[in-house]
Amino acid sequence: MPAKLTGPQRRLLGWLCSVLLIAAWAAIPLLAGRSTVDLFVFAALYAIAGLGVAFLLGQCGIVSLAQNVFFGIGAYSTAYGATALGWPALASMITGMAISGCIAAVVGAPVLKLSGYFLALATLALAIIGHVLFLEWEWLTGGTLGIGGVPPISLFGYPLNTPLRFYYLVWPTVLIVILIHRNLLNSRTGIAMRAMRDAPSAAAVLGVNIARLKERVFISSALLGSFAGSLFAHYVSFVSVDSFGVDRAINFLLIAVLGGARTIAGPVLGALFVTALPNFLSRLGDVHVLLFGVFLIAAVIFLPGGLGGAIERFWRTFAGPPRSAQSLTARESS
Amino acid sequence: MTITLLLQSILAGLTNGFVYGLIGLGIAIVFRGARIINAMQGDFALLGSVVAYVAVTRLHLPMLPAFLVGVVAGGVLGFLVERLLIRPTEKRAGTEDSYLLVTLGGAFAASAAVLLYFGRDSYVLSGVGGDSSINVFDAAIRVHAVWLIIISSLVVTGLKLFYSYTRLGQAMLAASIDVNGSLTIGINVPLMRTLTFVAGGLMGGLAGVLVAPLINIHYEMGLLLTLKGFAAAILGGLTSPLGAVLGGLTLGLVESLAIVAVSSGYKDVIAMAILILIMIVMPQGLLGRRGRRGG
Amino acid sequence: MTALLQVKDIAHQFHGLHVLKGVSFSVAERSVTGLIGPNGAGKSTLFNIISGFLRPTSGQVFYLGKTITNLSIQRRSYAGLVRTFQTPQVFGELTVRENLIAGCYKRGRTGFIKSLLSLPEVRTEFAEATRLADQTCREFGLDAVRDQVAGRLPTGLQRLVELARAAIGKPKLLCLDEPSSGLGPEEVAHLMNILRQLNEKGITILLVSHDMELMAVSTIIHVLCFGEIIATGEMVEVRAEPRVREAYLGI
Repeated sequence: MPAKLTGPQRRLLGWLCSVLLIAAWAAIPLLAGRSTVDLFVFAALYAIAGLGVAFLLGQCGIVSLAQNVFFGIGAYSTAYGATALGWPALASMITGMAISGCIAAVVGAPVLKLSGYFLALATLALAIIGHVLFLEWEWLTGGTLGIGGVPPISLFGYPLNTPLRFYYLVWPTVLIVILIHRNLLNSRTGIAMRAMRDAPSAAAVLGVNIARLKERVFISSALLGSFAGSLFAHYVSFVSVDSFGVDRAINFLLIAVLGGARTIAGPVLGALFVTALPNFLSRLGDVHVLLFGVFLIAAVIFLPGGLGGAIERFWRTFAGPPRSAQSLTARESS
Repeated sequence: MTITLLLQSILAGLTNGFVYGLIGLGIAIVFRGARIINAMQGDFALLGSVVAYVAVTRLHLPMLPAFLVGVVAGGVLGFLVERLLIRPTEKRAGTEDSYLLVTLGGAFAASAAVLLYFGRDSYVLSGVGGDSSINVFDAAIRVHAVWLIIISSLVVTGLKLFYSYTRLGQAMLAASIDVNGSLTIGINVPLMRTLTFVAGGLMGGLAGVLVAPLINIHYEMGLLLTLKGFAAAILGGLTSPLGAVLGGLTLGLVESLAIVAVSSGYKDVIAMAILILIMIVMPQGLLGRRGRRGG
Repeated sequence: MTALLQVKDIAHQFHGLHVLKGVSFSVAERSVTGLIGPNGAGKSTLFNIISGFLRPTSGQVFYLGKTITNLSIQRRSYAGLVRTFQTPQVFGELTVRENLIAGCYKRGRTGFIKSLLSLPEVRTEFAEATRLADQTCREFGLDAVRDQVAGRLPTGLQRLVELARAAIGKPKLLCLDEPSSGLGPEEVAHLMNILRQLNEKGITILLVSHDMELMAVSTIIHVLCFGEIIATGEMVEVRAEPRVREAYLGI
């Protein structure tokens, strides 16, 4: 067992790793080809939606398979708003988030009272309902034909219409989401959520309004999904119903589970993995879908903390246990 | 709406209902025997039907042996699921979520395997009596569907007798209700659990070969069947095989009649909405005594 | 002394079985009131009714003079009525310190959105809760395990954590459900000390147990048997009561 590092040494090491990571991140688009950058952009978009699912799962113990619905609502809102209504990008995005939030609130109220399997399968049922509605409501979504010609996002008049430009927008966004997430954990509400996950009766006795808290987390998760969907629409500029089916929901769940639902940044790793894998196997056709199922199983059985949890454990053995509760890949559950 | 249309609806609803009931029955068996909700149940059906299809088209087996092979394949899959998915999860102190995620992973893997092997097309398996139908007051029901109903009824009765009157059946029930007590009286609890999954697999395989000629084999049918079967099982109280079948019939009929009112594209939406409604409004089902409130 | 809690004619039926048959008693402020009885007497049911986990078939529960029979668990908590559980319900994946921070939930005011933004008041509140948690750890002798994950502690320590967590919220009425089950004699003595200390600080304690030794810490005891109170009084009186001896079959 290597000698544990002291507090200041750990912090130094932590800073060093962070700096290296940021440098690597900044350098990637300059060194790698367009398709690789494209991959990283998708990874970031899916990571944002996946972080929503992970949050719900890791901090509240809720398995949600409905994230594809909110992702789709965000994407279609942006697409429809831009092409059919001529709205500015921000207006469409906010509308999408508002719709997602409302649906999450309305559907969540009765459904979140369920627990365990029932809830998870209820969200799966929602995923199917959403997918069918996306297909049937052609007047809104274009059905199987989809909606094309979604304009790219412009920041202060500067259009983000290449993978490179989008890369430098979307990854800082991921970081902001992670930081907000961490903020929430180190608060009274954050503790209450985890208390609710571990022992709901005891949490109730401490005054936690379980139903309301679950609602809020579910709505937040939906808002993240919708946000990611809107960005997605701006990036791909053509949205079709294939992107918002049940397999998308499974993707997001896999990102959460594989990345480590209890860790704050783990899902990012999950997203990178899930996005990169099909590319590696593109020659073999659809086999990546099969592998996703297998990886979900393997992650549950062999890697309960996910990739993030494994890294956290590695860091602990190498650098000693954390002094305080605040680390970026906090909370492993081995 | 004419009487014929109504009758046609009802017949379709009954047929579908029995299918959902069979899947629900499989879910109920596994839940009764292992306290686990098997998200792969519909995929047992899918794989059973796929195996039967391959037996007919590639191995050129006649229909009945091919169907039997499909059923057995379901049982084998159930066994594999218990060994490869459930046991390792249990060894690592799985929570309720873990089992769900693991069986979900299995369900997706199974669908994906079929996708890989068969592609996105639908495949037709011919059933009993080919395409011929019987006429009931001008409404038609396929001969195969009639057989489906008959066989399902027999199976349900058989199961009830099995669990109530045979030692093996009672042992399987005991093993799930009280593990320690069962161990004390010499019941091989792990074996009972394996048998439960095998039974569930057989039911799934049976459902698959019975339904395939009616709806065509398609790689996505697994998950949808699982959810509808789950709805049927909940209506039936989650632990009662008979209840699951009755639940399935209810679901099938409501679905069919609703389609008459709305377009058929919304068929699944209606079924899913019913599922959610059932879970919220009556999680203990129509027949269940003390169901699992909320899972 | 005024009655902090009053239970009036509480009856409860469960599937045709009369678990409680018209129970009335009160808990005086600043007392340590014990509710004892053999298994099956209805203690758990009564306890669940008092703490809000069950609504009685009939009867009323009064707290500080007001009816709380149908009040939610959370509202009772804010009113100062807190309970523990027969199997210690610690927050298994959180550290001991975090468990105690959770105990401070009621004292806080920041909500969801403020927490997302990590406004200064959120951070102050959290730091204050952490300070209080650390202090309480010291008081309860939990310093050594403060950073350990609560779910992996032995039962005795888990009970202590649960108790500390309940106490940190400065409850008015602390209801303890079989707090000594799973504890060895030394741990029970330690528990009794802590209960005395908490009582001295002004916390009223309602103690439900079938453990006669633990009951020595009570100022008054009610004996519940087959859904009815059959004796009330101090430990010595109650022990001598023939009906109680009969109920306990010589214990």
